[in-house]
Amino acid sequence: MDKHLAAGRGGGSRGRGRKPGFYRGGSSYTVPSSSAPSWRPRRSDHTEPVTGSQAISDPSPSIPEQDIKSEHEFLIGTCPDMCPEKERAQRERLRDLSVFERLNGNPGRTSPSLAVKKFCRTMSTLHLQTSDIRPPSVLQNTLKYLLGLLESTSHPFDVVHDFIFDRTRSIRQDLTMQQIINEQAIDMYEEIVKFHITSHCKLARYSGKSDESSLYYLNMEQLMKCLLSIFDMYDMARRSKGVIKNEAEFRSYYVLLHLGCKIPTMGNSLSSWFCRIPFSILQSEEMCLARTLLRYYRMGDYKQFISTTATRASHLQLCLLEPFLNEVRAQALAYINLCGYKVNPYPLTHLSKLLMIQEQDLESLCSACGLETCIDEAGTKLLPAKQTSFSLPKLGFQSYGLLNRDTC
Amino acid sequence: MAYLSMGEAHRRITDYLSQFSTAVLNQDGPSLTPLLLVSSNSRLLVSLAHALDVFSDWLRLVDQADDQSQLLSEIVSPLFRCLQSFRAARFADAYVYFEKSANAFLQEFRNWESAWALEPLYGVAYEIRILAEKADRELASLGKNPEKLKAAGSYLMKGFGVLAGKSSKRVGALYVTCQLFKIYFKLGTVHLCRSVIRSIETARIFEFEEFPVRDKVTYMYYTGRLEVFNENFVAADEKLMYALMHCNPQRTANMRMILKYLIPVKLSIGILPKMWLLEKYNLVEYKDIVKALKMGDLRLLRHALVEHEERFLKSGVYLVLEKLELQVYQRLIKKIHIIQKQKDPAKAHQVKLETIVKALKWLELDMDIDEVECIVSILIYKNLMKGYFAHKSKVVVLRKQDPFPKLNGNPVSS
Repeated sequence: MDKHLAAGRGGGSRGRGRKPGFYRGGSSYTVPSSSAPSWRPRRSDHTEPVTGSQAISDPSPSIPEQDIKSEHEFLIGTCPDMCPEKERAQRERLRDLSVFERLNGNPGRTSPSLAVKKFCRTMSTLHLQTSDIRPPSVLQNTLKYLLGLLESTSHPFDVVHDFIFDRTRSIRQDLTMQQIINEQAIDMYEEIVKFHITSHCKLARYSGKSDESSLYYLNMEQLMKCLLSIFDMYDMARRSKGVIKNEAEFRSYYVLLHLGCKIPTMGNSLSSWFCRIPFSILQSEEMCLARTLLRYYRMGDYKQFISTTATRASHLQLCLLEPFLNEVRAQALAYINLCGYKVNPYPLTHLSKLLMIQEQDLESLCSACGLETCIDEAGTKLLPAKQTSFSLPKLGFQSYGLLNRDTC
Repeated sequence: MAYLSMGEAHRRITDYLSQFSTAVLNQDGPSLTPLLLVSSNSRLLVSLAHALDVFSDWLRLVDQADDQSQLLSEIVSPLFRCLQSFRAARFADAYVYFEKSANAFLQEFRNWESAWALEPLYGVAYEIRILAEKADRELASLGKNPEKLKAAGSYLMKGFGVLAGKSSKRVGALYVTCQLFKIYFKLGTVHLCRSVIRSIETARIFEFEEFPVRDKVTYMYYTGRLEVFNENFVAADEKLMYALMHCNPQRTANMRMILKYLIPVKLSIGILPKMWLLEKYNLVEYKDIVKALKMGDLRLLRHALVEHEERFLKSGVYLVLEKLELQVYQRLIKKIHIIQKQKDPAKAHQVKLETIVKALKWLELDMDIDEVECIVSILIYKNLMKGYFAHKSKVVVLRKQDPFPKLNGNPVSS
């Protein structure tokens, strides 16, 4: 961190009175060194272990949102604010300010402590300057600020989510352009993944019909992209003998995301993915749990899936698993309906304990699956088997949590 | 090493250049190929590398030869530099030079009318992959990003494009495809195989039977593996069986590689291999799996999966084998049913859930009655068992006719 910060400051002071930057001519990248004294190419002559401030100088080309095609040279951002001054002024003129960025609610006024750089889909490197890019320390503070907004209660969740979603994407973009792959960058990516995971759970629950929610799917998409980026960073850090603290945890999230059949495959099947994960990671506690849940899910073992989730999943794992709970519960209803004894209906009280769901929520789920419940002479609620009206809900599941466990 | 005179070095270099130009002029593919295989460490190339070190002005010889006999200096010059780098164990540099040479070769290959240079092209395709693998190992050991294998993949895609035409060169497309597969499997980007497979299997210019048998076997092996990854067992069976039936039986290592994936596929569709087959091809890791399936021994299945966990995970069949659990449950309950039938034929078709709980406990698996009811309902739902369960009486009532249907070549329904 200090190294990069020093470089940024040094550049700033030497370039006082001018805007230091670099320009790209044609298809090859050139640096007019005389006009850009603050920036100079760096080549790595040897590799050091990854520390908080050391950057790996050979980035993976598979990192998404990478625009600068430099092989051995990369820039160090110098923007001291959460949003570059130029962008702030432009967005003030265009009145393109989020509700979180308006000074005293004024849609045409913002400030350095409010405005956050937007994600830019068509980032042009032709006129890019180092002052357009935020260095790691500024990115870190920006991320902390953004995640603090999650505690906001004055705005609906989807509004908060939308803002943080876009602005964290911009943070990733800045990290990619500087090709920073160190412990600090990994930490930031992991925090962003956590944001997407908690959002995953909230969006599934609040949207009601989660399959129709585009927010839900966009969040899923970025969650997956983030994870794949982190895995590339882990691989590179391992090659540099760096310390990787949370790899097993984040690898386990990837496995859990494969439980549903509707996950867009952004890569390969799990079987081919497992081939390339270090065995020590695959045997970790987090991965063993994820693999166990995967086995229960694939087998259709609703009893073990739900009880194991309830007793062993971490908070974030539970956030990822909650949308699948009702899928598994509905599968359980399918089994009982088809395979149960017609003469003796299934007691709803027992079933709600098995599936760890409130009895009234269970009745709603039965209804959503086209199943009718009944009450016997003693007043006991029952689910008759062999109902031909059963069907899995086409529009997805309302998301219910587990008895005795809170999630998001 | 013996002292090498300047004169001898000169002679070796000019001999090589002469062989190269003669092979091209005579359109002699088999003679050209060994001149390109840098990593083969042949006597010819090792001595040539030594000569290049001694005679540092070899570029002049290449230029002279090019003037005289239309030698392809754009191919040979970087090839010489590649050879020097390779001999100095600088594999990343060697790769870069080889790719340069390979691109020049591909350009010439495109212009040559007939398919005479197909064998040299195979050599180049093979070589670029081997050098890329060595280069990436070197880069990784230096803490750098290993990226040469990916670059080799891009080159082979270009090669595939050159071959995919109406000319007689098209029979070489499958070999290049297989080299691409090896790269994608190594990189873990197997989803990239999809577009190449689509070309091979749908483009009108390709007739599968036209390809060499060796390449068809390799192609079916890799595409069969892809079907295993995606758990398309019927298609996987078809492809891997093709590979097995057409594989040279003398190549036992290749036979073993195919069987390593075919056996889990067969198990998934209810077909158990003979023990002698496992022993013949040293597939000992599958012995306990097969035994567990025969005996309905869930504990043995679990144990076998744990014992060979790393191997199964690395080869990509672990999740497939894990799914066999349901078949083991089926077998266990079937055995209980058979025993019960012998004891009391009148009640043979009613199996108490408590009996299954006890059997599992005997196998050191502690499962409660709700869990067993769950397993039973899954087996019925997936047609591994015929009947129904009565929750109130804690009993599974089996159908009298064929209560445990065989899979007969079909996977368990999902």
